[in-house]
Amino acid sequence: MSDATIVVDGLRKRFGAAVALDGMSFTVRPGQVTGFVGPNGAGKSTTMRVILGLDAADAGSALVGGRPYRSLRRPLSQVGSLLDAGALQPSRTARNHLRWLARSQGLTDRRVDAVIERAGLRTVARRRAGGFSLGMRQRLGIAAALLGDPPVLMMDEPFNGMDPEGIVWMRGLLRSLATEGRAVLVSSHLMGELQDTADHLVVVGRGRVIADAGVAELLATASGDRVTLRTTAPPEASAVLTRAGATVATGPGAATITGLAAEKVVALLGESRIPFSEVSAHQATLEQAYLELTRDAVEFHSAAGTGASR
Amino acid sequence: MRPAGMRYALHAEWTKLRTAPGTVWLVLAVIALTVAMSAAVTAAARCPAGGCAVDAARTSLSGVELGQAVVAILAVLAIGGEYSTGMIRITLTAMPRRTIVLAAKAVVLSGIVLVAGTISVLASLLAGRLILPGPHPSLEDGSVLRATVGSVLYLVLIALLSLGTAIAVRDPATAIGIVLGLLYLFPIVIHAVSDPDWQRHLEQVGPMSAGLTVQATTHLSGLPIGPWAGLGVLATWAAAALLSAGLLLHLRDA
Amino acid sequence: MTAGTSTVEREDTGTGRDGFARLVRAEWTKFHTVRGWVIGMVAAAGVIMGLGLSPGRQGSCGQNGPDSVCALPVGPGGQEVTDNFTFVRRPLAGDGGITVRVTSLTGLLPTSGEGTRPGLVPWAKAGIIIKDGTRRGSAYAAIMVTGAHGVRMQDDYTHDTAGPPGGVSVASPRWLRLTRSGDDVSGYASSDGTHWARVGTARLAGLPATVQAGPFATSPQYTQVINQPLSTGEVSGPSQATAALDHVTLQGAWPAATWTGDETGAFSNASPLQRGGFQQTAGGFTVTGSGDIAPAVPGAAGLGTTITQTLVGTFAGLIAMVVVATMFITAEYRRGLVRTTLTASPRRGRILAAKAVVIAAVTFVTGLAGAAVVVVFGPGVLRANGVYVHATTTFTEVRLVVGTAALLAVAAVLALALGMVVRRGVIAVTAAVVVIVLPYLLAITGLPTGAARWLLRITPASAFAVQQSTPQYSQVDNVYTPVNGYFPLAPWAGFAVLCAWAALALGLAVLLFRRRDA
Repeated sequence: MSDATIVVDGLRKRFGAAVALDGMSFTVRPGQVTGFVGPNGAGKSTTMRVILGLDAADAGSALVGGRPYRSLRRPLSQVGSLLDAGALQPSRTARNHLRWLARSQGLTDRRVDAVIERAGLRTVARRRAGGFSLGMRQRLGIAAALLGDPPVLMMDEPFNGMDPEGIVWMRGLLRSLATEGRAVLVSSHLMGELQDTADHLVVVGRGRVIADAGVAELLATASGDRVTLRTTAPPEASAVLTRAGATVATGPGAATITGLAAEKVVALLGESRIPFSEVSAHQATLEQAYLELTRDAVEFHSAAGTGASR
Repeated sequence: MRPAGMRYALHAEWTKLRTAPGTVWLVLAVIALTVAMSAAVTAAARCPAGGCAVDAARTSLSGVELGQAVVAILAVLAIGGEYSTGMIRITLTAMPRRTIVLAAKAVVLSGIVLVAGTISVLASLLAGRLILPGPHPSLEDGSVLRATVGSVLYLVLIALLSLGTAIAVRDPATAIGIVLGLLYLFPIVIHAVSDPDWQRHLEQVGPMSAGLTVQATTHLSGLPIGPWAGLGVLATWAAAALLSAGLLLHLRDA
Repeated sequence: MTAGTSTVEREDTGTGRDGFARLVRAEWTKFHTVRGWVIGMVAAAGVIMGLGLSPGRQGSCGQNGPDSVCALPVGPGGQEVTDNFTFVRRPLAGDGGITVRVTSLTGLLPTSGEGTRPGLVPWAKAGIIIKDGTRRGSAYAAIMVTGAHGVRMQDDYTHDTAGPPGGVSVASPRWLRLTRSGDDVSGYASSDGTHWARVGTARLAGLPATVQAGPFATSPQYTQVINQPLSTGEVSGPSQATAALDHVTLQGAWPAATWTGDETGAFSNASPLQRGGFQQTAGGFTVTGSGDIAPAVPGAAGLGTTITQTLVGTFAGLIAMVVVATMFITAEYRRGLVRTTLTASPRRGRILAAKAVVIAAVTFVTGLAGAAVVVVFGPGVLRANGVYVHATTTFTEVRLVVGTAALLAVAAVLALALGMVVRRGVIAVTAAVVVIVLPYLLAITGLPTGAARWLLRITPASAFAVQQSTPQYSQVDNVYTPVNGYFPLAPWAGFAVLCAWAALALGLAVLLFRRRDA
């Protein structure tokens, strides 16, 4: 699918004195889940609104499948989006909400029932959306996003308000949508939510991109090549490993080794018959990687108070 | 595929309005309140048989003065609810062409008000026939027919004026305040102004005072503005409201 | 939190009455921190002043040189009066009396064209009068026959006592007698000149020793209301009355030998109907007059307008305030703020009371400012444009300002209560505007007078009676409609009707608020 892309190029926008977007540029590719992360007020929602033609940027362009959103003929068949799950008229039933959306795209009620099924809303479809829990509203929003069977999907904080079961379901859904060859952009301010889900990350702060890389790459950068060792004979182990060229920092109960791969550590300890209970390669969490990347932006944010969080 | 886009938009807006539970009640309220007030005013204005100087058709249709308030509610809620809940962003995501959304809303709303208005106006005339001693206004009389058709169109134009205002100001309560102010304040101010020239000018530009001249069937020469021209004044107000709504939809962040 | 471990600072307010004052302060903070609502209030005051001070009226008073200055005589009670009549008089020294027989009272009315037609206005009057000289506005007492109100005894413009009913004709004439004894003037009526009944006694304090007395005739402005939906018109014009009197008998000292005919307060550009005069006949007079001896009224039957007209902006201000008041409650429901509010103070009736207090205070102060500016400066603007504005006492002006502010405050509370009941801003605003403004609009435009007065007795629109600035007189036929500043209820009675509606709505709102899930 060649048109399954979002290309954001040099977006700038300010709300009064507050700069919301300051040269935001990135590309969302098909077949993978792209995480769109950054602290509150970093410009994630504003970028998404500009992509959807809801807000006009002061400069730059945002193209979906090579075209501006406002020029799309049947937009929901190009991009499915979930911005604010609470943005419903509460007195309308879930199914009727999807029906008017389907009408606007020339879609049939059969399609409505299909997305109700896929979002797991079958039992509540004929209830007033106003009575839905936040998690249910998120599912309704996702049903609306899937309505046009679009090659591109864009969701703002889809994990908000979901229970653990819902989060597992959501991760599976996002993975399967990517596997089907769609481009999926998912924003979040909690990196942990995207662990095991995103293939690619666009990290933003202060209205511009801080990092744009694959998840594996980011993790490697953040992890370094540290190895954790638990042993009953720390001085001996330290001596052996230091001799092999590693740096050893001994802590309470465990030592951290840098400069040697885990397999090499195991081999050396085995040769010297030093007992150990655990040798593990350190795995940085996405959370740590993210915090490292956004430290500047967060500091700015705390200092400047609440920025434009639209 | 522009025509299809419009067709889909119409279909969507019709589904939306139809599935909003308030719509049915508001349509019923338009009919009930219009007819009730027409009947009440007609009964109050009942004069001794034969010596009746009042405009029988116009009196029978005076419930439009109340019915228009409910029509304004219907129109404001047709869009105001979307702004207060944020659903407008879903609407504009599904139908990014602002002009088409506006046109579709206007057409669907006009259709509903056309039906509700026709029922209200005909029922009001019927109530007038039952209450007034006669001779009864007849639809075969050209001016009575004009008053009847004009009253329905008046309600449609009130709906469009309200729709445009609601989109322009985005807050439903403020929008209805502005619409009701435009409608009801002109006649009150006109009565407080004693200068006949001023009065005439105000009657010629007030959306309600000018628009309702379309109901007059007697003393036509004494009207400040011709019946159709008066309705044209209201149409100008409605067009101005819709135009500014369209412009703002295009220019403003949703 | 136990004392000692908590370091939360508290303002020590509202300890009395379980912190109601604190609740009011919280609601006030909620109110004044929403910019749109503050703007709405400023706009409300602005539109009240703008419409009140805009020169939407033009008059000719004082616009064409000193001769065109409009001035009304002032009666003994200090009020503006009309004092135009044909007076056939002789001085009466000390105590004494005069008796006449009236055998006919006829008249002429204007038509929509140039001509006239025979007929009498109900308050056409002719009879005998004792008056403190010929100065307009001076004290008097008179007994008279009228067009449609039988025999009346009137004095000092505002006092009116009914005597025997019925009209006069040659077949059934009316005998009238007026006697002076010190400051007291008594009027008597009889159908045969033998059997007399006293109609009334007027005390005219400070009446000089010598007064002017004799027959008179006058006939007030003719007014007819034409009702049509959305257009109430008035046909009005001068009328004329002619009375035939005979059997003139005098008691006491009447020093002059002959009768003098005067047209007291004659009109400078008199139309044929406004001309008066008298002829001496065998044993009596024929007196023709036009005008009135009565309080001056604004509107169709009189001159100029009242200060009430300057307060027309109240309606526009009211709509703005209704919108803000409604939002003050419906905004709580928009995003579930009401749950936060209820967590902070769970007693629901008190929350609504606090909201009502805040919105009432805000709208009262806003209304007070708007109305005060209009009442102080509005009449000046009108007078500068040549419009005659009836004088009002300071007391009345204060009542207008305070009453208008109170009206707006209670209307806002009504809107707030409606907002609570329906929880939809649009419907609440419409309901409030329809029940407060529409009845008034109908009363001044579409409805016949009877229905209009009825509407202004029972609907919330009755409260506009607080803006009435001139009293209604039963002895003056006028178009007593709200347009001319007249209401069927007394000012505070009308206001009470609105208060009753607001209390009802507020009670319902509290009931629903307590019962409903938030």
